[in-house]
Amino acid sequence: MTTTATETAAMPVYPKNFLRSLRRQNVFTAFAGGIVGFLVMRVAASLFFRGEFWHGDSNRIITVAFIGWGVGFMAGIGAFNGVFRWFAGKDLDHAEAEYMAGKDLGVKRYFRYTTDHKVVGIQYLVVTMVILAIGGTLAMLIRTQLGISMELFNPNTYNSFVGTHGVAMVVGMILVVTGPIGNFIVPMMVGARDMAFPRLNALSLWLVVAALIPLVMSLFMGGIRDGWTVYQPLAIQAPPGAVGYIFFIVIFSISTAVSSVNLLVTIVRMRARGMTWSRTPIFVYSVAASVGLALPFFPFYMYSQLLALSDRTLSTSFFIPERGGSVWLYEHIFWILGHPEVYVIILPGIGACLEIMVVFLRKPLFSFRTAVVGIAGIVALAGLVWAHHMFMTGWAPLAGYPFMISTEMISIPLSLIVLVMIGTMWRGKVWTRLPMMIIYAVVFNKIIGGLTGIFLSDVPADMHFHGSMFVTAHFHYMLMGTGLFGAMAAIVFWFPKMTGRMFDERLGSIGFWTAFVGFQITFMAMFAAGNLGMPRRVFQSSELFLLSNQISTVGAYMIGVGMLIFLAALISSWKSGVIASSNPWGSQTLEWQTPTPVPLENFPVLPVVTSDPYQYGVPDPYQVERDLETQKEPVA
Amino acid sequence: MSQDLDTSPPPEPPTNRPLPPGDRLGTFLARPYVKHIAAIWVVCTLIWVPIAYWLAGNMGAGPAASKLMGALKETVFVFTLVSAPLMGFVLAVILYSWLGWGRVSGDEVPDLKNPAIKGNPIAVTIWTIVVSFLAFFLVTWGIVEYTVVNNYAAGSDNPEKLQPLEVHVTGQQWLWSFSYPEQGGISSETLFLPHNRPVVFKATSKDVIHNFWIVPMGVKIDVNPGAVTLAGVTPDTLGSFPIRCAELCGMHHAFMQTQAVVLDKADWNSWLASMGVTS
Ligand code: HEM
Ligand SMILES: [Cu+2]
Ligand SMILES: [Cu+2]
Repeated sequence: MTTTATETAAMPVYPKNFLRSLRRQNVFTAFAGGIVGFLVMRVAASLFFRGEFWHGDSNRIITVAFIGWGVGFMAGIGAFNGVFRWFAGKDLDHAEAEYMAGKDLGVKRYFRYTTDHKVVGIQYLVVTMVILAIGGTLAMLIRTQLGISMELFNPNTYNSFVGTHGVAMVVGMILVVTGPIGNFIVPMMVGARDMAFPRLNALSLWLVVAALIPLVMSLFMGGIRDGWTVYQPLAIQAPPGAVGYIFFIVIFSISTAVSSVNLLVTIVRMRARGMTWSRTPIFVYSVAASVGLALPFFPFYMYSQLLALSDRTLSTSFFIPERGGSVWLYEHIFWILGHPEVYVIILPGIGACLEIMVVFLRKPLFSFRTAVVGIAGIVALAGLVWAHHMFMTGWAPLAGYPFMISTEMISIPLSLIVLVMIGTMWRGKVWTRLPMMIIYAVVFNKIIGGLTGIFLSDVPADMHFHGSMFVTAHFHYMLMGTGLFGAMAAIVFWFPKMTGRMFDERLGSIGFWTAFVGFQITFMAMFAAGNLGMPRRVFQSSELFLLSNQISTVGAYMIGVGMLIFLAALISSWKSGVIASSNPWGSQTLEWQTPTPVPLENFPVLPVVTSDPYQYGVPDPYQVERDLETQKEPVA
Repeated sequence: MSQDLDTSPPPEPPTNRPLPPGDRLGTFLARPYVKHIAAIWVVCTLIWVPIAYWLAGNMGAGPAASKLMGALKETVFVFTLVSAPLMGFVLAVILYSWLGWGRVSGDEVPDLKNPAIKGNPIAVTIWTIVVSFLAFFLVTWGIVEYTVVNNYAAGSDNPEKLQPLEVHVTGQQWLWSFSYPEQGGISSETLFLPHNRPVVFKATSKDVIHNFWIVPMGVKIDVNPGAVTLAGVTPDTLGSFPIRCAELCGMHHAFMQTQAVVLDKADWNSWLASMGVTS
């Protein structure tokens, strides 16, 4: 494969009978395809359902139009080319596959249906940041409204800001570690040349992009006014724009399934020679656990929305009580996903923290097995706790008992992971680089999130906190304080490998700590408001809560400023940071043992693993002393 | 170990048995960082005491207006205090790791010569036991307290064992209405309740899900279309208390509020009379 290197460097030689269109397809043709598909289907649906050329929005018309958008977009990016070729009996040869992987395409490969996992990783990074930026902007608008006692927005607009902020953030957080780091780093970490199914990898990314547009469009078509949970039957009152949410969730669920299978197969089947399960890095475990949860549970999200869509467009009544439907049914289907999803979000972040702290403490992981047991315990219990979100719904008061028990059980595996974290810190001098500093912040936030989680899992305490701002503050401590901050540590840590440059830690620290302080102010004040009795998702608060809301808003602006500084650090480092060596942190995992920038198939020679990647530190002097006292051979 | 040479027993012959556990604990506790962490731990644990008081004291922005709410406050108070030592410990270790065991900066990968501690069965065992006990305690407390709360809701805490008053709660976008079937079906948009008499709420909705929350009484229940849900309480404080909707129900969810007014016997009767109820 390397014999043609000289020719191709000079002038890309395109394989002869390669489907010509693929060469020109990129994100622009995708958008063109999507828009054409949207318009054509919109007119067709309008004619079909209403007999008019351009009837105003209705559920059915919008649904069909969005399908047109999705198909057009995916066709425009070239997602179906491979399928057609396979159908025609002409599968790709090696040169074509390399071309699809973006060989010699330079920057262009980032705008195409590229299969190289490193390109997909970078694409995911950018897409995730766009999603988080949308969510963050909305958060600022929400907080602005809550901090003043004037009516800044129409209440419906406000509600749609809350809903869209929620969805965008949840999805952004699901992607933020598993997308960029999972795709870019995990295959290298296990010593593979690419993901198991490179084309599925590209598919999963472009499905997210395709789904994102209807979500944003829905903001301008009436919006998602019903929170990210879109409880029925309230949601059915929302105008047709809400179909954008449904479309988004359905497509996103498919994308999640695709990428989960891909990552799982890669992790299970493609680890390097000698990488037994006990030599597999802990981050890989956490990603496997996360996608392992996403795979069975995300379909429930999809069903909940498909049934809701069917209520909207086909006059079914799954969730419409006056026609025999049940509101509890929706809540169950939704939360059977909704709770495991929390672990889908935080597990990779926690795994990344474990992986990173080892490097900056230059100590082995305190107890690899305990960490694995902790992760496994969370996975085992994740599916058994969903109805703790329904303690106050009245669906079955006695069911409070078992769900309270199962929920509180989860604190045991979670605390095992905390033990591994503090055990790894135990007696270690620390190399104070930014990723490590962020981890301290993460553990701190995890303590607060954990404590308040204990309240919420207890039915009597939840009788006060359910549906209040206290809940909102709690899950921000978990999702943002633990998940997002952990992801920031991961991004800074793997930045040199992904971009070839060092992250500007000075500017990054200023940004991070500003955001951290702002975070504490915002959400501590929000705890206070919730505790006093402020319901969540309210658009204006009474006098009683005004002060805590004003404090919270000031804190939120601090977060905003901090995040912008962090983003500036990221962008400027990406463009003009110090060139990174191949292993600037002296890490032992495999992804750092290959050159930077990483060559197309990662490893010139596939590595063979002979030990776990945590061979740091010197023999423990206390242990040596004790062994001498008892006349044992000192353990090395 | 021992300093007093005269009274100490003759030295044991060397063995390869490990030190007795007591001694190992002693040498462990003698290490300087252990003392420091212990001190920080105490401080980090104690900071939760005022927090617990603050949290429980301000739940619902004031004193409890029912025994039921008192039980909720107690739960939050106890849970905070019980988890304080564990949280304090984690906090102490991260603080000490951050500041105490030493640090280096710089671009070069440093050679920190940190001890390669790989596992410590004793620590893992102790931790697991402690955490399991804590979880066990929380679960047990939760089960017991939930039962107590359910009994309160059923009126067990009313001194004179009165028959509960039935109130029908109806939520609709965006207002509450209450009707009193035993009082001839009179209805009101403010919730009037008699003092120290148990109340049973039968709640339903005309449109979407709402949540009926009498904040200082600890009553919270979803109000669903197509179903009747139950809640109950015995108000034991006179006065007027906020009722808020705690489930997003559309445009004016924020303003779906009213008051619960607890009246003593005389006021209750005169309110009934003003509503045209003759008893
Ligand atoms: C700049 C930082 C952020 C601020 C100031 C902020 C603020 C808010 C506020 C005020 C709400 C409305 C709460 C309510 O009325 O219930 C909210 C909701 C929410 N936020 Fe954030 N947020 C931030 C970042 C995040 C992040 C990083 C996540 C990540 C997962 C997130 C996830 C959510 C979710 C899931 C909701 C619930 C939406 C709903 O009620 O349906 N937020 N946020
Ligand atoms: Cu949950
Ligand atoms: Cu409401």
